[in-house]
Amino acid sequence: MSAKKPWCTRVTSDAKTTHIPWLGAAVLLLLPVAVLILGQFLPTYPLRVLDMILLYAILGLGLNIVVGYAGLLDLGFVAFYAIGAYSWALLASGQFDIHLPFWLVLIIGAGLAGIAGILLGIPVLRLRGDYLAIVTLGFGEIIRVLMNNLDGLTNGPQGIARIDEAHLFGWTLSTPLDFLYLLVGLLIIAFLFVWRIEGSALGTALSAVREDQDAARGCGIDTTRVKLVAFCTSAMIGGAGGVVFAAMQRFVSPESFTFWESLVIVLVIVVGGLGNPFGAILGATLLILIPEMLRAWADYRLLLYGIALVLIILSRPRGLLPRAYGPSWLMRRLGGGR
Amino acid sequence: MGSVILQQTINALTVGSIYALIALGYTMVYGVLRLINFAHSELFTAGAFIGLGLAGALGVSGHPFAGVLVGVITFVIVGLIGVSVEIVAYRPLRGTSRLAPMLSALGMAVVIQNAVMLIAGRRPLIYPSFLPNGVVEIFGAIVTYKQITIFAVAVILMVGLELFVNRTNLGVRIRAVAENAETASLVGINPNTAISLIFFIGPGLGAVAGILYSSFYGVASFTMGFVIGMKAFTAAILGGIGSIPGAVLGGFLLGAIETFATAWMPVLTGGLIGTEYRDIFAFSVLVLILLFRPAGLLGEHVSEETMVYKSDF
Amino acid sequence: MKLKTVLLAAVAATALAGAARADVLIGTAGPTSNAEALFGTTWQNGMDLAVRQANAAGGVQGQKLQLVREDDGGDPKQGTLIAQKQCDNKEMLAVVANFNSGVTIPSSDVYNRCGLPQVTNASNPKVTKAGYKNLFRPIANDLAQGAAPAEYALEKLHAKTAAVVHDKQAFGQGVAEVFRDTFTKGGGKVTSFSGVAQTDVDFSALLTTIRSENPDVIYFGGVMPAVGLFVKQAREFGLKGTFFGADSAFTPDFIQGAGAASAGAIVSFQAPPYDSSDALKTFAADYKKAFGEEPGPYSAYGYVEASIIIEAMKKAPLPLTREGIVAEIAKSDFESVVGHVAFQPNGELKQPFIFLYQVKDNGFSLVK
Repeated sequence: MSAKKPWCTRVTSDAKTTHIPWLGAAVLLLLPVAVLILGQFLPTYPLRVLDMILLYAILGLGLNIVVGYAGLLDLGFVAFYAIGAYSWALLASGQFDIHLPFWLVLIIGAGLAGIAGILLGIPVLRLRGDYLAIVTLGFGEIIRVLMNNLDGLTNGPQGIARIDEAHLFGWTLSTPLDFLYLLVGLLIIAFLFVWRIEGSALGTALSAVREDQDAARGCGIDTTRVKLVAFCTSAMIGGAGGVVFAAMQRFVSPESFTFWESLVIVLVIVVGGLGNPFGAILGATLLILIPEMLRAWADYRLLLYGIALVLIILSRPRGLLPRAYGPSWLMRRLGGGR
Repeated sequence: MGSVILQQTINALTVGSIYALIALGYTMVYGVLRLINFAHSELFTAGAFIGLGLAGALGVSGHPFAGVLVGVITFVIVGLIGVSVEIVAYRPLRGTSRLAPMLSALGMAVVIQNAVMLIAGRRPLIYPSFLPNGVVEIFGAIVTYKQITIFAVAVILMVGLELFVNRTNLGVRIRAVAENAETASLVGINPNTAISLIFFIGPGLGAVAGILYSSFYGVASFTMGFVIGMKAFTAAILGGIGSIPGAVLGGFLLGAIETFATAWMPVLTGGLIGTEYRDIFAFSVLVLILLFRPAGLLGEHVSEETMVYKSDF
Repeated sequence: MKLKTVLLAAVAATALAGAARADVLIGTAGPTSNAEALFGTTWQNGMDLAVRQANAAGGVQGQKLQLVREDDGGDPKQGTLIAQKQCDNKEMLAVVANFNSGVTIPSSDVYNRCGLPQVTNASNPKVTKAGYKNLFRPIANDLAQGAAPAEYALEKLHAKTAAVVHDKQAFGQGVAEVFRDTFTKGGGKVTSFSGVAQTDVDFSALLTTIRSENPDVIYFGGVMPAVGLFVKQAREFGLKGTFFGADSAFTPDFIQGAGAASAGAIVSFQAPPYDSSDALKTFAADYKKAFGEEPGPYSAYGYVEASIIIEAMKKAPLPLTREGIVAEIAKSDFESVVGHVAFQPNGELKQPFIFLYQVKDNGFSLVK
């Protein structure tokens, strides 16, 4: 948003062009197709790594709404991810002998995470800046400790094993390739969703909140409501990611939902580029791939990982793909418009 | 019953002293740079290990005076590490975005933790006590000399820091930069000097806390920093981040909350809520305090403007 | 037709040549970078020793062995990625994985899918519940581990009351629950059952409460260093009850860490101490020579787990295959340094070994 725009004008989407940018759309479509074709030829281990990358890209897209667009630092994102994962673990396993279909739990998991996002949001969103970050951090830890302690519900530290295989309309999801299809599909949905938000009135309101909250309020934007919506949608994407994670692992336990996971997802979007959906994808690729590629270094692996992180951030403090170079930019470049 | 309360109070003061010492490092850095220094907890760990290495190299251990010597040298070494970490990993990022330094700090935390692991090994090391042994009984409560020493060292360091910040020329510079770096530079204060000083004192205090902690519990492991660091950070927030007395109050308060929650939650709730809920309790208190006093207990009542970082991300 | 035969022969020849040239790989995955790094690393060192000794003795059926170590960080997600990586490596014929139950449960799904023989060190009873034919557990599970001390406390010490503490981790809570249930069933009274955080170092608040209960026995389900600190602080607080701990307290660090406080403490472990037999003395000496330090608590198990695979490889028909090794492991029947190894059809040991030790004169002595 350039500073030259007069205050409080109704800003419409940057992406809105009068003609459909065919070339841009084609390039955007080519990416997932390329990934799927690649998936046919990859051995299983790289496929699994690819699945993880896509999963973290989805989580990154979700967190990006709150951190990248609304400018609120959420250090407890893993809580929503955990809620989603435990939804599948509890509603499709022998734990309570409930066996719901996958698509339904995907909705339930996302819904529960969204509700948790609102419940967390109502009291804390009036906090500002880093205090909000700390409260979300505390929330993440509270959820994890609850999962670890509510033995009757979650089996505590033992975790829930032998979770059902996921079925989606008669198609059994069991191999990493099956999950690749699912994850590519979900990533496309999340990507389009986030991109739509970016260009919508909500997106404008979010960036107004990020740039100057008081001015935004002065323009009649209900900042609390806008932040709540951001929190809720972000949590829903996190919850959906959790459901898929549990379906992939077929085992959940609290050790998968530590504070470190929250930090990794923040790293994904900061390394990739805040507020840029492409950034989340690139960030996830790097943050999953680097530690896997460093395996050959054995003892020095995490040391090198840390050094790599610092170097990347030092060389590109605004991320590898800054905010301005998002999908809308790509469309403009390729669509020839403006 | 009275002796039990007294006993728990003494337990709380010991844990609280250590939290407070570490919290000071977080709060000073935050006060000036608005940065959560994730590497601080690992410098605490490094302090414990460097202290142990020094004791071995100097051939002194188990004696309180040796402890003072080791403590001073470790303070300086870890302080210098802290200064270099700031110069290498945070300074180039100043003014770019607020998240970048925080995540750079996270990267440094991983680096320092693994460096400690590679140098000192994975085995938790048995730590020689630099603290005097023995116990006294006060009204039925058992107080070890170690506990008394830890409390005393913590209080001396904290009072010293308070005097330094408020009464010395350098302290004035630190406060000026914390207040407003730009204005400070207008009146001829080099913010970099003040910031380096903060990155010397904060990790130094953390390192002393590391030695005290490992001496008290008799063990040092390369992973011990993360959890205690998170708690100390919570303490800093609780007291009002950026405020030195706040960090001290937060540290003792968190120690008290944890101790009494562990002791009485199971009793009060008839065993429904066990000791394993201690961390939830601590975080819930934090959330509640922030809701009613958004700047923490002793945090300054800053206007909302200064708390909002405009287009920082 | 002729061309096809030639091609097939060529392919077969390359394959054979490859098999003869390449090492046989044995994989392992365990935590070597987090709080459990010490356990994971010394455990893997034990395997390394077994592999080195096998190679020094001429390898297995003319082939050299190689151990490929991986770090799973105790994280289930990394565990499944590594499992897939090992599965995809066609030269890898068996794995010793994983150290943690929470990692083994999801990773065993992956290993099962590619038929890779998996020997695990995870002690949670659930691990073998899936009924995978390629999964073997040559150690006592938590059921045996928790029950033995409870029975001993009731029968030998005539204890009436016990305070039970655990670290809220899969292993610690698992054994503590078994202890509690066995103790209660045997007529004892459990005065309190409390969880602490795994990373806790300060137990003063909890100990103050336990002191007022004055139990005959205190059981701690957890791992080092917490268990050492707990005992030390318990004695400083003047608790008089007999202390019981689970396997990971069985290390010299425990005695050193807890100091004089450890005297009289009883510890359960799946292996006899390193000085209890000639075989183990030799093992400990060899280990020290190879790695320059004392073996860790699970080193002997790493050694035995790798030995089980090596023994099976010696007997399996050539060329070595994953299926062939699974079949041979199932038939294992030999005397290892820690005891007799033979498996039930579900992959559990026929006779799990569990020993109780008491700390005496700065060492462990066998009581049962």
